[in-house]
Amino acid sequence: MSWQVNYALENIRKNYGMESAQQISDDAIKITIPNRPEVIAVISAAQLINTEIATQYHSNYPVMDFLCGYRKECAREGGAIKYLESKSIGWGSAGTLGSAIQTGDIKTAAHKDYFFSYRLIRQIRSVSNLNREFDRVFTMTLANGRSVRVGMIMEYEPTADAIRTFWDRFGPINIAWNINPNGNPTPNAIEAGRSLGCEVVKWEELREILQRR
Amino acid sequence: MRGCEMGRVTRNTAAPLMTACEVSRYLLRCCGSLREFESYMFGSSLFGVGSDFDILIVGPSGEPLSRLKAELRFAANELPLDVLYMLPAEAEATEFVAREGCIALAQLAASSIPRCRFTP
Repeated sequence: MSWQVNYALENIRKNYGMESAQQISDDAIKITIPNRPEVIAVISAAQLINTEIATQYHSNYPVMDFLCGYRKECAREGGAIKYLESKSIGWGSAGTLGSAIQTGDIKTAAHKDYFFSYRLIRQIRSVSNLNREFDRVFTMTLANGRSVRVGMIMEYEPTADAIRTFWDRFGPINIAWNINPNGNPTPNAIEAGRSLGCEVVKWEELREILQRR
Repeated sequence: MRGCEMGRVTRNTAAPLMTACEVSRYLLRCCGSLREFESYMFGSSLFGVGSDFDILIVGPSGEPLSRLKAELRFAANELPLDVLYMLPAEAEATEFVAREGCIALAQLAASSIPRCRFTP
């Protein structure tokens, strides 16, 4: 049994009992909880889930309801998200799977760290075009024609390292948006962003930026 | 035994998961560069719950950090770690260690509590 399947099973069983989760094949598990629909989830150890990997998982497990990237650093490309959503397959982290099990909305679940923030951007009228490149990176075109590449930073208190690591992994961004409502970026994080050429902001600042551009 | 048909439950048994103390010992043993940093565990993993182990690393950036990250990446190949890296100034300004009840990996590693559950 792979390590990530082992951890996923253990965590679900802690909450719902020994019989609640079983491995059915390699990376696929079956979650059976009374009064809830049965769920087939694929637990992946990939660092990055692209369209090809998502398609391959779906080909291997045609009845899958959810694709879980178990590693904290797992990212999904926009193409993979589009593919999964078009096939009514939920996607996200172990935490997203846990929440979706509770609510029962497995097939429509999207990574809970980014769901509300991305939906907020989708609702802004001054954004004329929106392209989700990764689960946490999108490029928006504003009404004046200007394109802005934004990274969503979920850390409670983003550090200088978090900003630099994000930039190194996902490429240059204009704005690092700290989407966690409970904390604030450290001064070192703001300075790291400045030296790279991006603004590290909270929602209130992003809204102002959107209004003046 | 490995299942090969969708829907059939496989019989292979899982290895027991590591406790917080075991993870601490493992990381200190595998990652020599941790000696150059302050390292802690925090969050729900201290109580044996949660989907991963939250680790805080406090220390310099640059080459020592790159070296440590490479070591941790290798050590965490089959271990769910969520690592937060802070500069000493950031740790001081946020008072993260005290506020989040972080416990030093060295302290956890030296613990003889059987299941290694901590109350910060």
